[in-house]
Amino acid sequence: MGDDPEPTLIPVLDRRDRDVICLDRGMTTAPVPRVLTRRRDCLVAGVASGLADHLGWPVWVVRAGFVATALVGGAGVLLYAWLWAFAPWEPADAGPGGVAAPGAPAVRRAPVAAILTGAAVVLLLVAIALAASAPAFETSGGGGLTLESAASPGWLAPALLGIAMAIAAACWVSFIDRPDPRRGRRTELIVRVLLTASLGMLAVVLVAGPAARAWPVLTLVLALAALIGIALVYSPALIALWRDLNGERVRRIRDEQRSEMAAHLHDSVLQTLALIQNRAGASSEVGRLARAQERELRSWLYEGDAPADSDLASDLRDFAAALELDYPVRVDVVAVGISEERASGELAAATREAMLNAARHAGGEISVYLEGSPNAVDVYVRDRGPGFDPAAVPADRLGVRESIIGRMRRAGGSATVRRGAGGVGTEVHLRFETEVPRGG
Amino acid sequence: MAVDGGADESGRAPLRVVVVDDHSIFRSGLRADLDTSIVVVGEAADVGSAVEVIAAQRPDVVLLDVHLPGGVDPAVSGGAEVLRRVVADVPDTRFLALSVSDKAEDVVGVIRAGARGYITKGTSGAEVSAAVVAVAGGDAVFSPRLAGFVLDAFGAAVGETAVAADELDRLSTREQEVMRLIARGYAYKEVAATLFISVKTVETHVSSVLRKLQLSSRHELTAWATARRLL
Repeated sequence: MGDDPEPTLIPVLDRRDRDVICLDRGMTTAPVPRVLTRRRDCLVAGVASGLADHLGWPVWVVRAGFVATALVGGAGVLLYAWLWAFAPWEPADAGPGGVAAPGAPAVRRAPVAAILTGAAVVLLLVAIALAASAPAFETSGGGGLTLESAASPGWLAPALLGIAMAIAAACWVSFIDRPDPRRGRRTELIVRVLLTASLGMLAVVLVAGPAARAWPVLTLVLALAALIGIALVYSPALIALWRDLNGERVRRIRDEQRSEMAAHLHDSVLQTLALIQNRAGASSEVGRLARAQERELRSWLYEGDAPADSDLASDLRDFAAALELDYPVRVDVVAVGISEERASGELAAATREAMLNAARHAGGEISVYLEGSPNAVDVYVRDRGPGFDPAAVPADRLGVRESIIGRMRRAGGSATVRRGAGGVGTEVHLRFETEVPRGG
Repeated sequence: MAVDGGADESGRAPLRVVVVDDHSIFRSGLRADLDTSIVVVGEAADVGSAVEVIAAQRPDVVLLDVHLPGGVDPAVSGGAEVLRRVVADVPDTRFLALSVSDKAEDVVGVIRAGARGYITKGTSGAEVSAAVVAVAGGDAVFSPRLAGFVLDAFGAAVGETAVAADELDRLSTREQEVMRLIARGYAYKEVAATLFISVKTVETHVSSVLRKLQLSSRHELTAWATARRLL
């Protein structure tokens, strides 16, 4: 069951057919719309106004025609329902060349739900009053009981009509008025409460009141009908609830399947990828491909739901993954502490430059260590390459001097480049002090 | 360490190792890669057979896969379950965890169950051999990422430092320095050179950190592990 019970996508006539018909009839001058559409700004369903536009008649004539034909065996009602079901909405606020959203809500001027609810409540109250008062004289003559039972009691018609109206009101408010921004859940709630109260009252009066003695079976059936009416009043809500629960269940099943698949892939594919890296050597082409694939699969399996925030650590990990694809390197990124540093900052840019340098000139194993403490962020990029003397770098080589040291100095941080421990490789240390803690 | 008649000319018996992994191709690859000072005396593919083989062979070192089939308790990894069931029976055996990644998720459970360190499955045979030797000698094997996790879990990054030597829930200044250098990718030798201490002292610090990692009831560790159903 869809939210919108009115099919809007079936055009009555194809545009071209209509043109042909117009030409055949010689009606080329009249500015009639080519397709019968219902107006979105409508009273109830836009049928009468749409037909009036289509035929070029005043709206009241069309309405009167509907009423008149409705009185003749209900033909007007049938035609109305037919047009309601099959005439599409007019294109919603199509801008210059713009295509309107197909689900744009219609604005109904007539408070149909309120009218239906009011009618239902009035009818039910009438039925209650009749049922509560009528038997006072019905039961007085004991002999006339069978005779009286045969005739239908005076409260039967308003009760039945009231129940029907109540169900119609509930359906209308839930299915048709729900998308209307002017009538939302609040109206729905009010309508439901009113209908429940009056239906419940009717049931109680029928069963416990004096009418039960006169028509025991009939009152019981009617009371039951009233209770079923209450259930139907809530059925749209129950359907929505059921739909939600179903969605929830489907989501849970999907999660379960996902984790099952993750476990399976973990036991098979990830192990195999690790083995490939082991056998092929960490910096061989095959090993790097396997590592990149492993990383990708792992992040898809386990970090799918976590927001990939652009904090420095995850950005550096992404950059490391990219480097591993382009260069024969293996980059290990370790992040400690919480850092406020963003991936767009100067520190991130300098770190990326240092990592790129290490990948380009050193290769092999590269360690990146990021530590965020309350008053400073430290980044170490360490490689085990041949190393270089920063002082001996020609002035025209901008990599280290400008992109790392200069950039950090301009941003208010510091950068040192020195030989790694034991004289092996190079270690770049970037430090960025955040503001001094208050009250310190 | 038990020394039997098989001692070679260097005066040391070859290390007896049991390999526990459910992938036979990985076991055979590892056996081929380990250097000659290490002999594989047993293999197992699941929790039950691992417990049997370890109890029967009493090896020096067990290379133990973290993710093993055949566990009874779904809340712990197969590797941790092997440790729980067998560690009390073989007090002389050291356990080195093998995991498919060096994510703390995969590792902290087995470390807390008694493993002396871990290596990732991607590491080369020479490195695995070195780690086996280190673990057999009583040292702990830390990777940069585990060191980073330890620094995080013990609050080192926000300036928490142990004041008493026997404190389990925080790291001493020296331990923090060692962990930082390991996290930066330094080998023990390089850590020792940088801090002007001996390699033996570095190993002592690392072992002490491992002990804290295993015994600490620090909230971050337990909560973290419980949340991932590792304990």
